[in-house]
Amino acid sequence: MSTGYWRSVIKEFSRNRLAVAGLVVVCLLFLVAIGAPLIANSKPYIYVSEGRVCFPVFHMPGDLRGKDLRKKEFTGFKLFPPIRYSYSEYDLDAIVLPPDSRHYFGTDEQGRDLAARMVYGTRVSILVGFIAVSIYVLIGIIIGAVAGYYGGIVDIIISRFIEIVMCFPTFFLILTILALVGPSLVSVMVVIGLTGWTSIARIVRGEFLKLREVDYVTASRALGARDYWIILRHILPNSLAPVLVSATFGIASTILIESSLSFLGFGVQPPTPSWGDILSQSRDFMDFAWWLTLIPGFAIFITITSYNLVGEGLQDSLDPKSVKKRV
Amino acid sequence: MKKYLLKRILLIVPTFIGITLITYLMVRLAPGDYTTLKAGLQGELRAGSVGMEILEQERKLYGLDKPIIVGYADWLGSFMVLDFGTSRKDGRPVSTRIADALPITLALNIITIIIVYIISIPVGIITSVKKDSAFDRVVSLVMFILYSLPAFWIGLLLLMYFSGGEYLNIFPLGGIMSDWAEEPGFWRKLLDIAWHLVLPVVTLTYGSFAFLSRYTRANMLEVINQQYITTARAKGLSEARVVFVHAFRNSLVPLVTLMATLLPGLLGGSVIVESIFSIPGMGMLAFESILARDIPVIMAIAAISALLTLVGILIADLMYALVDPRIRLESRI
Repeated sequence: MSTGYWRSVIKEFSRNRLAVAGLVVVCLLFLVAIGAPLIANSKPYIYVSEGRVCFPVFHMPGDLRGKDLRKKEFTGFKLFPPIRYSYSEYDLDAIVLPPDSRHYFGTDEQGRDLAARMVYGTRVSILVGFIAVSIYVLIGIIIGAVAGYYGGIVDIIISRFIEIVMCFPTFFLILTILALVGPSLVSVMVVIGLTGWTSIARIVRGEFLKLREVDYVTASRALGARDYWIILRHILPNSLAPVLVSATFGIASTILIESSLSFLGFGVQPPTPSWGDILSQSRDFMDFAWWLTLIPGFAIFITITSYNLVGEGLQDSLDPKSVKKRV
Repeated sequence: MKKYLLKRILLIVPTFIGITLITYLMVRLAPGDYTTLKAGLQGELRAGSVGMEILEQERKLYGLDKPIIVGYADWLGSFMVLDFGTSRKDGRPVSTRIADALPITLALNIITIIIVYIISIPVGIITSVKKDSAFDRVVSLVMFILYSLPAFWIGLLLLMYFSGGEYLNIFPLGGIMSDWAEEPGFWRKLLDIAWHLVLPVVTLTYGSFAFLSRYTRANMLEVINQQYITTARAKGLSEARVVFVHAFRNSLVPLVTLMATLLPGLLGGSVIVESIFSIPGMGMLAFESILARDIPVIMAIAAISALLTLVGILIADLMYALVDPRIRLESRI
């Protein structure tokens, strides 16, 4: 993997406008997830009154603890985050309100601000997407590498095992395990991670079968290199490109699975907000509360589309053949 | 050929046992079983020793007191003679519960597949003929967007805008037929079911257009560069004849095999779509059984779907060889 290769990949990727747009959205979602408490918070960033300056978002002074600084009685300079509500704060006098100037995305059946919940929901989708995919990429690489590198009986046994796992209807497998172990953020990530590795394992196995015969591997072996060295140093780096593509598409489908699970009540448990869970609650108010259905669904759609676009861009730019073709 | 077929069929056996054994281990090893769930629900467990006795009796009744491996062997034995056992939930035979749910899911899936093929294949052909044109690009983008739209979102939106509430009231909210006061005629009944199936079918189809039309397009492009296509054009055949007779027929090979892989999906309902539209199909049955730890139903569904998947893969490989004589089966294991 020379730097020249990666430079040409970046060049090729940046030519694909849709893929770049997807990457921008993905980065924005990351920023929203990391900065969620700074975007949606009931406390102001800065509060200045009677010659005192404090930053309630980061640290609430003792005498103000438990007080709502949004109220008029707290005079003085206040600088609030763009969304002045926290995700768990409910107001039973303001249930299922349409979007207005106070609640940009309206409120849900407990009077919680939908915008704040959407912002925090980003965290769940990104967390599940990345951690679950990391787990299964790791498992897939290990299993695929062992099968492809050693071949023979090891390969036959592992391939048969992969086939068995692939025959399971994935979504039902996930549902069954979650029903048995109890749904939570961690179990969702682990279960998706443990069930999703088959395609990665097959890709890695194929690459290893191909690469273990190439000259530089034979040369390394002739020089007395051990297996782990050949695998980690020579074969693995050269087989990662298709894994990267598959992992990117994998994040998109994992986010879809997570939101489907939350939709069925098998995902992240309340009060942690998740887009799928918000959508599922909207079913009770479907006849009029369009914002509760439209907004979380659109967020899921945009996120999935962005990852898919990035995946497509990577697929085209990582393949040296397609680069040559266009020159 | 015979040797290959025998080998493949024999290979199905260990894979099938592997799948069902893993499923059985999962449902048995999980904390809590059907009896504790039932007892817990009825609050009988806190009664102390009497409750425990009943629990033990029930465990015995359902065969949960046996060691796991014996329980699995028992299950496998009955499955071999097509005895799926009785559902824990309502005491009905598993086979009747499946027989109730299956026709609904089957009808839904067959309609869906037909619509997907009818739309995707022409779209794939046209985009391949007009490769890189504006039409090709727009269609690709539209398909891509449709593919990325989550089904449960679209299902909810369709319900919201077309099934009453403050918006249009064209389609029913869910279910598969209306509650009739008197027995209706056959055609009225059929029309009523069709009316109920419109929104679920739309939700199930739109996402599959992208895959199949792209697949058709890619296959067509591969064929269209072949020399015999150039020959066909050179001898003055009309473009339509070249495209539909010479090119399309040869691009059918992968499509045929794709049909075989559809087999298992045909019986497995979509939990999401069935739950949104309250359709009592296979997806709902499986989902409810998982929630109730109804082991016989879970096992039957898992076993049938595993078997169909394995047979589907086998049929796909065989058809591949049948339609394309260049493929030699013996080397593909």
